[in-house]
This record gives sequence, structure tokens and C-alpha cells, in this order.
Amino acid sequence: MSALAVLGALGTLLVAGYGLLTLLARKETQLSLTEQIAFSWLLGTGAVSLLLWIFGLFVHGVLLPGLVSIICLSLGFVGWRRMVPRPLRRGRPNPFEIFLAIIIVIEIAIVFYLSFVHTLGWDGLLNWEIKARYAFANGGVIPATYFSDSGRAFSHPEYPLAIPFTELWLYLWLGEADQFCAKTIFPIFYVIGTFLVIAFGRRFTGRTWIGLLMAAFLFFVPQITVEVGSAIAGYADFPLSIFYLATIGCLFCATEPKNDAFFRLYAACLALLPWVKRDGLILWVVAAACGVFVILRTKRASRHFLALFPGLLIICGWRFYLGVMHAPQAADFLPLNLETFGSHLYRILPLLSALLAEFHNLPTWSLFWFVVAVGVAYLLDQMRNPGTPVLLTALFVPIALYLLIYVFSSWPNYLEHVGLSISRLLLHVAPVGFLITILAVSRRRAKEPARVRQRGVVTCAIAGSERTPVVELA
Amino acid sequence: MTFRFPYARIAHVLLWCGLAVASLGVSIPKIYSGVTEYPLRPTGPLHTCDSYLKFATGVPCASKDLISIFQSMTASKRIIIFTRKDDAFSSGLGMTTAYLASPHLVRLFEINGTHLDNELSKMNPDEVAAVVFCRVNRPNLFPAGKVFGSGLEVVSTSEKVR
Repeated sequence: MSALAVLGALGTLLVAGYGLLTLLARKETQLSLTEQIAFSWLLGTGAVSLLLWIFGLFVHGVLLPGLVSIICLSLGFVGWRRMVPRPLRRGRPNPFEIFLAIIIVIEIAIVFYLSFVHTLGWDGLLNWEIKARYAFANGGVIPATYFSDSGRAFSHPEYPLAIPFTELWLYLWLGEADQFCAKTIFPIFYVIGTFLVIAFGRRFTGRTWIGLLMAAFLFFVPQITVEVGSAIAGYADFPLSIFYLATIGCLFCATEPKNDAFFRLYAACLALLPWVKRDGLILWVVAAACGVFVILRTKRASRHFLALFPGLLIICGWRFYLGVMHAPQAADFLPLNLETFGSHLYRILPLLSALLAEFHNLPTWSLFWFVVAVGVAYLLDQMRNPGTPVLLTALFVPIALYLLIYVFSSWPNYLEHVGLSISRLLLHVAPVGFLITILAVSRRRAKEPARVRQRGVVTCAIAGSERTPVVELA
Repeated sequence: MTFRFPYARIAHVLLWCGLAVASLGVSIPKIYSGVTEYPLRPTGPLHTCDSYLKFATGVPCASKDLISIFQSMTASKRIIIFTRKDDAFSSGLGMTTAYLASPHLVRLFEINGTHLDNELSKMNPDEVAAVVFCRVNRPNLFPAGKVFGSGLEVVSTSEKVR
């Protein structure tokens, strides 16, 4: 019965997300099955959590999941009527691709196993699941007293609700708050991350095996699979990193002229960044700046600036809601002003040193950052391609901003604050490092651009002719 | 027709193969130990809280008992939780108790020594449903409460405070 309820909850999420995907893609572009599943999940979790929050302002009890379910099914109906076209089946996959696919399936199975072997992590329970549990016990709405209760300020009532309300959606289907079942959603985010790396790998390079290879390597970054705050811990950091991967990957694809479908997907994923975690606000700022750069560089119409509007609406709406609920302000940081900055400037060097130490923390990251550094070196001579500065900005600027924010840490020992959270913050941008590595491994050249068409699927690769078999054939 | 040996291409392939092999060499021991570290645990709606409480107090499946104790108290009254400063176990136990104490409002006091007089003076006994001691010795003015293993004691204020 529980399994059926979990399937029902996950199914409605996917159905709602697929409906939204069809509305955004508008039959303009072909999306592979992995892309359709990945975007359906991301849009579905975002939409259902937002709907639960917004409708929860007006109704609660049985009516709330009922209303949200009706909207999910309606979106599913829209999706069924509009159907995003899938690329025609290309030829049989080669043995290497089959081998990589088998490896990925095994890895996914291990991540599911790990997720159920481990309990929710500390923050997973006390920052995220707590909100789902309290909302479930109160008819689907977080009780107002939770926000004003100073005794529960440790659980950060000001954190946004995408993850807790996805867990709540499961609880509403299950009919009980179940910490074990709540963990189901986190390995799914890992699956989605894998699918996105495969899909973007194929789109960026025109070759499936590179995406498969990179997706297989996702598993071998300990911070992604087994460390504190990884995909198995029930923290919001890994889901946020997947939303960020989708945002930046779509923006890269949108650098192709007239690829508006990916630009709309970029806008949708961008809007959800600050809804997943408070730190998503920094990622939103960076990704929005990248979006503005792409709009200007590709000379898109000014209406494309509206892509920033949904995210702004979510940010302002959530801030307003917290104000009305008298939620306590976060106590981890001092007021952000020039005076504080000036008086704490001495922290910059120790912070840089801590960051460098984290980069070569092999038990946590293995050689990941070294590999990314090599990838960055490959891309430096390709800055004329608008996608390259987007990727590099999306990787480096959040790291710089995260580092800067520690200057304002209110912890007596700010380096302890860094030590406890820096690996999780770097996790947010780690998947973008995979995109950079994909481009570096494929040695894609910006010169002599040529759109690669793979038997029906249009990729966003602008490939050098000597590297692309299909173009060679032509 | 001239043949150009693809040095750059070979160097590229060697570089990335080398990086891949080195990455795997560093990662696999860590991932392997992560995968084999824990056996499959019993599942349940409160499996995370139960694990924390068992770790901190030694008592299995204590969450359900704690919830029923708190639910038997007047919901409009607060739960006061005392934890020991600089003791991560105590702090964790306090927060887990606060998590389970819903829908009561809670107040967490982190104390330095063994004297709670200052904190107790801030309490209005009429507004308090229970006092919880997390790895903190119960002062004598409180009657004995429900003890969970080592380090967790819940004293209902319906018991007469001495």
C-alpha cells in the first residue's frame, strides 16, 4: 500500500511536470526521453511545492491535496494533448555505450541502497523534514506558531519549501509522516542529475558516450555519493545543484540562435533556484546575470528579460510571507554592509586558504576539482563562443560569492563555519564542473561552427568538422 | 599526400585517460567504505529520530514514547529543554526532543554548569507542560520523571515541583 502511495505521489509530480514541460517546449524542439523525465521531475517538484504553499494560504485538510492533485492531472492532460516530440531512434548503441549504461544503472541502484541504509542527515531532519512533518500534522499547512517559536529557530523556519513540501506531498499520499519514505526523493534527484549530464553531454558534443561517461563519473565524487550533505543525506544541497545544472545547461543550449524552448526551460529552472534553498538566491543572481549576458550577446528581443520575473516573484513572495509570519531572521550572518565588510576584511586570506584546502581535500572531492581545472584550461581559448563565458561564470562567481559571504559570518570561529559548510556549497556548482569537463573532453572548437544533426535530434553542438562523424559523412 | 601524426590528439586522450584512472584510484576506496560501512537498518516512520535517540541514550524506538508523553500534555503549554553547552550530544538530543515535542512551543536553554537557578527563575510554571533534561542532571527541586536510557529525562510539571 505504501509503495502504491509513493508511486502515486511521484507519478503526479511527474505528470504535472510533464504538462508544464509541454507548455514550455511548445513542440518547437525535440527532447529525448531522459530530458523529458528530468525536466518533468524538476518542474513537477517545483510546481507541486509552490501549489501546496500557495493553496495552503487559503485551504487546508483534504481539500488541499485534492486541489493540487486536480491541477496535476489537468497539467498531465495538457501534456498528453501536446506531447513534446522525441527524436527519431538513432542506430543501435555501440558496445561502449551499453557498457556505460549498465555501469550507470548499477550506480543508481547503489545510490538508492545507500539512501535507505542511511538515516536523514542532521539538517535533513531538523531543517527540512521538520517542516514537512509539522505541515502534515496541521492539514498540509505549516502552523503559524512554528515561524514565531524562538525555541525552534534552530530549524531555520526562513528556509524555502521546495524540498519539505515535496516530502509533504509524499506524506499526503501516504497518509502519515514517514521519514523513511521521505528519503525516496533524494536518489531520484541523483537519477535526474545523471539524466541531465547524459542529455547535455549529447547536446553539447553530439556524442552520447561522452554524456554517459561523465554521468558514470558523477558517482565517483564522494561529496555527491557518500559524504555529509550528499545525494543520500536528505539535504537540499544536492537537489539545488541539480536545479542549477538544469538552469545553466539550458542557458548554454539557449545560446544557439532561435533556441527559445531551452530559454524558457532556463527561465523555469532559474525561478526555482531560490525556492529550493536560501543559498539558491546567490545562484539565481549569477544565473540571471548569465541570462542577461546571453540575451544581449545573442541579440534576443527585450521580452526575454521577463525570464527573470518568475524568480523575482518567488523571492519577494517568500520574503513577504516570512515577514507576515514574523519568522526570525537568520543569525548566522552579520548585517551585510560596508562597515562590517571593512572591519572583517582580514578574513579574506584565511578564507581563501580554507577554500584551496577544500579543493584538494581528496577524501571529499577525489580529483574532481583538479579535473575541472584542466577542463577550464581547455576552454580558455574558446571565450568567443557565448556559452563558454556562461559556464565559467556559473562555476567561479558563486564560489567567489560564497567565500565573500563568510566575511560576514557571525560565528565566533568563522573558520569552523566554513569547515562545516564549504563542501556543501561547492556541491552546488559541482555539476557545472561536469559540463565544463564534457566540453573539454570533446575538444569542441568554436571555429567553423556547424550545427550537428543526429538523425532527427538537433543538438546545441557547434562542432569542429574533424570531430563529428555525422558532419564528416556529410 | 602527407601523413601527420596526431600528437595533440594522442596527448589529449592520454591526459584524460590518466585523469580518469587517477580519479577512480582515489575515489573507489572511499566510495567502497561508504557503501559497506552500514548494514540495512529497520525502517519505520520515525527511523531517523529513533536512530539519533538510540545513539544518544541507548534506548531503541524511543521516539514513539516521547511523542505520546508530549501528546498527553496540554498542547498550549511550553516544553522547556535544558542542554549542556559545548556538548554536541546534549545539543542534538535537545533539538531532536524539540522536533518531537510538536505542537507544543519549546524553549531551549543551553547551560554552562550544573546550576539552573537563573533559567528556572525565567519560567512561569503555569505555562510549562514539561521540563526535559538532556545530559543535564535534574535539580533536586524536580521530582523524578520518565527516564530514557542515559541522559534524557522528561519531567511533567503536573508532578508537584518540590
